Amino acid sequence: MKITVKLIGPFVQLFGFGEKELDVPAGTTAEDLIGLVSIDKSRPKIVTRNGRAVVPGESLAEGDRVVISPIYSGG
Amino acid sequence: MNGWTGHILRVNLTAKTYKIESFSEEFAQKWIGGRGFAAKILFDELTPGIDPLGPDNKFIVALGPIAGIPAPNTGKAVVAGKSPSTGGYGDGNLGTRVAEQLRKAGYDALIVEGKAAGPTMLVIEDDKVEFLPANPVWGKGTYETNDWIYAKYGKGVGVLNIGQGGENLVRYAVVRSLEGRAGGRTGMGAVMGSKLLKAIVVKGTKPIPQADPAGMKKVGTEDLREVHQVDKKTGWSIQSTNGVLAWCNEVAALPVRNFRKTHHPDAWKCDGERLNDARIATYGCPNCTMRCGITIHDEEGRESELDYENVGLLGPNLEIFDLPAIGSLNYLCDDYGIDTMSGGCVLSFYADAIDHGAVAGDYRFGDAAASKKLLGMIARREGEIGNILAEGSMRAARKFGHGSEAYAMQVKGLEVAAYNCKFIPGMALAFGVSPIGAHHKESWVITFELKQTSRESYGPEKAQKVIDLQRIRGGLFEYIVSCRFPWIELGWSLENYPKYFKLVSGLDWTLDDFWTISDRIYALMKLFWLREHPQTDRKLDYPPAVWFDPANVDTEGPIAGKHLEYDKYDGLLQHYYDLRGYDKRGIPTKATLERLGVAEEGRAAEKFGSLT
Repeated sequence: MKITVKLIGPFVQLFGFGEKELDVPAGTTAEDLIGLVSIDKSRPKIVTRNGRAVVPGESLAEGDRVVISPIYSGG
Repeated sequence: MNGWTGHILRVNLTAKTYKIESFSEEFAQKWIGGRGFAAKILFDELTPGIDPLGPDNKFIVALGPIAGIPAPNTGKAVVAGKSPSTGGYGDGNLGTRVAEQLRKAGYDALIVEGKAAGPTMLVIEDDKVEFLPANPVWGKGTYETNDWIYAKYGKGVGVLNIGQGGENLVRYAVVRSLEGRAGGRTGMGAVMGSKLLKAIVVKGTKPIPQADPAGMKKVGTEDLREVHQVDKKTGWSIQSTNGVLAWCNEVAALPVRNFRKTHHPDAWKCDGERLNDARIATYGCPNCTMRCGITIHDEEGRESELDYENVGLLGPNLEIFDLPAIGSLNYLCDDYGIDTMSGGCVLSFYADAIDHGAVAGDYRFGDAAASKKLLGMIARREGEIGNILAEGSMRAARKFGHGSEAYAMQVKGLEVAAYNCKFIPGMALAFGVSPIGAHHKESWVITFELKQTSRESYGPEKAQKVIDLQRIRGGLFEYIVSCRFPWIELGWSLENYPKYFKLVSGLDWTLDDFWTISDRIYALMKLFWLREHPQTDRKLDYPPAVWFDPANVDTEGPIAGKHLEYDKYDGLLQHYYDLRGYDKRGIPTKATLERLGVAEEGRAAEKFGSLT
């Protein structure tokens, strides 16, 4: 299934891309995805799926937009 | 008295006199400094009901025990007075060399009273105070004024100044310092202007009293280096505060078209990635470890320093997505000395009011050229519309009528910062209960709402989170006077601050001790409010009505069909009051005042408004 991954803030420079489309197997979770795009798992982050924060183990679906961001705190 | 100079400089512009006053150790430990000092002095010394733009108001610069000491991000000062925007206590902080220089001159605070006979520059050098004419720069912008001062005194002095916005009493005029720093969006620039005070210059040569100066120097220097390393490792300052723009756009929290929309397909054009690409220079405050000011060339080729709030509100909120154009609007706000956030909200309100037929006009969203022209008219109070918009969106809406109050994006008279809370109940509460109007500096809870609870919740956990953050952001960092960024953006431990405090004062306090101070200052700000607004009502703690309007919902995206609900918001507000020990109007109860050590101030306020 095709999903779009977008990185936010310094993750763009640190992990080498801003936004890309990926073809992933059915059942892929948001957590799996972080490994697939080589994001440092130890980095504090907030992951949203179609604008809503994902819960652990949540499976992705065709056409999803997943956004991986550092945790901003409002300046 | 280690940790404090023990002195306040009181200047009277009417009489051209000054005196150096001492304060007690009890006062120091009860109010600490910064916002604490300012709120207490203004509460004690201002007669309720005075005109904030009249000579009876006082302009205060207040510093804290670690302000100006070499340690992470301590180059900040608080400016305060009765707010021309809200009529309540008003303040703001800004990065400035005044933080260090005023303390080296021997003062923890400066109180400016009265009104000068003509444009004046106050020059403070240790115990010497001069009242010099500022006529050559009256009517000039802040950049030219700053250069004029630097040419006279060199770049090492501390400078606060105002532009045409402050001179012409724009109610959201700010105080400016350094290359791009501004503070006091509650109208502190207008308070300076009302006193014909164009600038303050400070130079000090004395040591700042510290309990363990060698220890502080060692720890401060090491920590300056370490926080800078953390920033480099995390990459935060690559995009700086504007990194959050793209995220807000993804989660439907971006202000677009006077907050009517929450996201926009063109938002990427002005996001942090594009801002970093356009960067020509980077600026920070004194003792900064993570410089946040990214400068670009604006449309006219000038250097304009941008961050998220001004990009958000002068850009997408006006449906302008071109970075150089946004840069021009930002430059003009900075040069005129008017707040970029309120400036953006006032312009977007005007465009919206025209759209909805509340007022006739040809200004439209997306028109950068007309926006530039309007900012000039506001700063000069030129023509009927410049004069109305200089009053801010709340007062402009009262003038326009036709239901436009619903979409004037303000709380208590201060415009909201760049977070669209159409469906973010906890952040809407944070704006609603901010004691100085809708300022994001008090509390910011959006990632908590999305990640650690649910966006839909109106539960007490959100009210508690708002309070927790008020204690830190609106409390600790505003009275110890230090930039909050190392903690909020890099995770620099809060435990460092009692450590710094002990090194300078010798006092071994816990964070819980500081939270009591925070609650005390918040209670005092509420008493100040009660005195000025005896008929105050909980509805003044409501965010803008348009966020509750079913007709204003998003039709697509993450919050399609959602809006805030009045009964649920009121319940959330009640959770906040209950947790704070406030009554149903949002005023601290007598028992709360007693617990926080401000019963005496409560009795003083009771002469003007009732307590329960």
